[in-house]
Amino acid sequence: MTWLVWRQYRNQAYFAAAAIVVFAVVLLITGRQMASQYHSALSLCSASHHCGNLANTLVLGTPLLSVLVSLTVAAPCLLGIFWGGPLVAREFEVGTNQFAWTQGISRRRWLTVKAGWALLAAAAWGGAVSALVTWWSSPVNAIKHQNFQPAQFDIQGIVPVGYAVFAVALGIAVGTLLRRTLPAMAITLVVFTFVRLVVGQDFRSRYLTAVTETFGFLHRTGHHLAVPTGSYWLVSQGLVGPRGLVPTSQPNGSGVSVGSHGVSIPLSNMPSACRALIFRNPRGIFPCLTAHGYRGLFVTYQPADRYWAFQGIETGIFVLLAAVLLAVTAIVVLRRDA
Amino acid sequence: MASNNPAAIQTRELSKRYRRVTALSEATITVPEGRISALIGQNGAGKTTLLRLLAGLARPTGGEVAVLGSPLSQAPAFLADIGFLAQEIPLYRRLSAEDHIFAGAHLNSRWDGAAARQRLESLGIPLDQRVGTLSGGQRAQLALALTLAKRPRLLLLDEPVAALDPLARRQFLAHLAEAVADGGLTVVLSSHLVADLERTCDHLILLAASRVELCGDIDALLAEHQLLVGPRKDTTAIERDHTLVQAVRTARQTTLLIRRNGPVVDPAFETADVGLEELVLGYMGQQAGPGPAHLTAIGEDQ
Repeated sequence: MTWLVWRQYRNQAYFAAAAIVVFAVVLLITGRQMASQYHSALSLCSASHHCGNLANTLVLGTPLLSVLVSLTVAAPCLLGIFWGGPLVAREFEVGTNQFAWTQGISRRRWLTVKAGWALLAAAAWGGAVSALVTWWSSPVNAIKHQNFQPAQFDIQGIVPVGYAVFAVALGIAVGTLLRRTLPAMAITLVVFTFVRLVVGQDFRSRYLTAVTETFGFLHRTGHHLAVPTGSYWLVSQGLVGPRGLVPTSQPNGSGVSVGSHGVSIPLSNMPSACRALIFRNPRGIFPCLTAHGYRGLFVTYQPADRYWAFQGIETGIFVLLAAVLLAVTAIVVLRRDA
Repeated sequence: MASNNPAAIQTRELSKRYRRVTALSEATITVPEGRISALIGQNGAGKTTLLRLLAGLARPTGGEVAVLGSPLSQAPAFLADIGFLAQEIPLYRRLSAEDHIFAGAHLNSRWDGAAARQRLESLGIPLDQRVGTLSGGQRAQLALALTLAKRPRLLLLDEPVAALDPLARRQFLAHLAEAVADGGLTVVLSSHLVADLERTCDHLILLAASRVELCGDIDALLAEHQLLVGPRKDTTAIERDHTLVQAVRTARQTTLLIRRNGPVVDPAFETADVGLEELVLGYMGQQAGPGPAHLTAIGEDQ
């Protein structure tokens, strides 16, 4: 069966291998440049005394490269669409499953070998892309501390492997249920995107209870402030109001903001009396807030050292979903008519 | 036929219902080992359903079935003994004939790739060309060769000759008869083409509207039936003594196809032997009602 799987899909395998080689060459060349750029900037920085923030002064890579690397977020979905979707659906569509199912092997083995190789290939391919992106991004991660942010979290570490396995399992399951290639591919795209968005936006921040730090206004010097450091993931921030926390509706809210301790508060979140001070007496805003019962600022965040725990949990969720989908596929293949 | 030999196919009230449609209704069939059985019926009569059930590709919704003495199964040991060729001749279009032969060797414990190769070479079918580029007849020959390479004990062929030209058709059926004569092989093949089957088959399963109308040895079935031609319009006496299959009444004469219960002793009727085609048409006509409609159903290609 392995021979047949290889013979059927070897062209796709060659294509995928060629794509990863091209991608690897681009990332290895530019990644080495970026790393040396970063290290020379770092040594220059430690030699001089007025270094500033590298995150603001050092530009690594090109916008085009950043876009290319960001686009790898779509890679697992493409695997689901083009490997998973047709894997079983195509056989049903042209009837070749009738050929395979009347040879001297059981349907269980047919499915196991086919799906097994597809999943293994997807995990390897997704893992290779992710490994390259993670390595390439390491200088950027070091200066910008952004690898816990959703856009980077999704394309680095081990989660892309989980996404790839899930996407291919989803494609296989949908294809098995629908028995039509194109609808299976379309539905795989829609469902995969939906599940990724829901998990990323609604579930991820709750894997572990977020840490909330509060601090008062205007403690400028001499106070140890527990502002989070490193590659933390900011979940929400805002004012500590008279009746509890008042989160800023958008963490990076638009409009005019007033900042303190790295927490910025949009004017729209303030009582109108304080808001008006922005033109007359900006320094009076915080006393005004205090007068209105606001006691300080807060940040809620996931600390940087939870990064791998979150990667592990998210990967586990998607691998588990994949397992459920494969179980459904197996039941359908074993029980339904050819 | 030795009666202690287990039948190659034995079903009892085998049924297959899809959501609304009954594809096969309470089919009770026996096909002894070593036979070539013709599975005949109009489009939609249930031929494909019956073959797919026997091949283990579809699950029955009722009844019992034993194929080569075993219940239906997805186990390799069961599948190894059955060769199935679907009507639409499903093959991997991007793979070559050689690839298929190689795949068969990987998928089967018993596989005669050399025989398949030899057969395809003798037919002039290129082994290294993509199957998608072969003609319909070449694809059918390839699929048949692959099915035979499996060395099955039961061969289930759904319209195997439909895509072949008349000469290839005759050669294929002769090849099949040889394989059966070598022993250890039973064949069920469906077709619209009664004339082709008459030469090759010695067993008949006749399906009409998802029911089994006839099942048995062709010679015995032909002997049981008789054609009566006479002027008389009143046939109640004959219908009482025998089973009337079909009556065609014109202004001047009446033609009856009956299943005999004993000799016919009505001097007003001339008796004649029944051929396979007349028998089949008679039973189909009974279903379709009088008129030429059923005639077009015979020999009609998909």
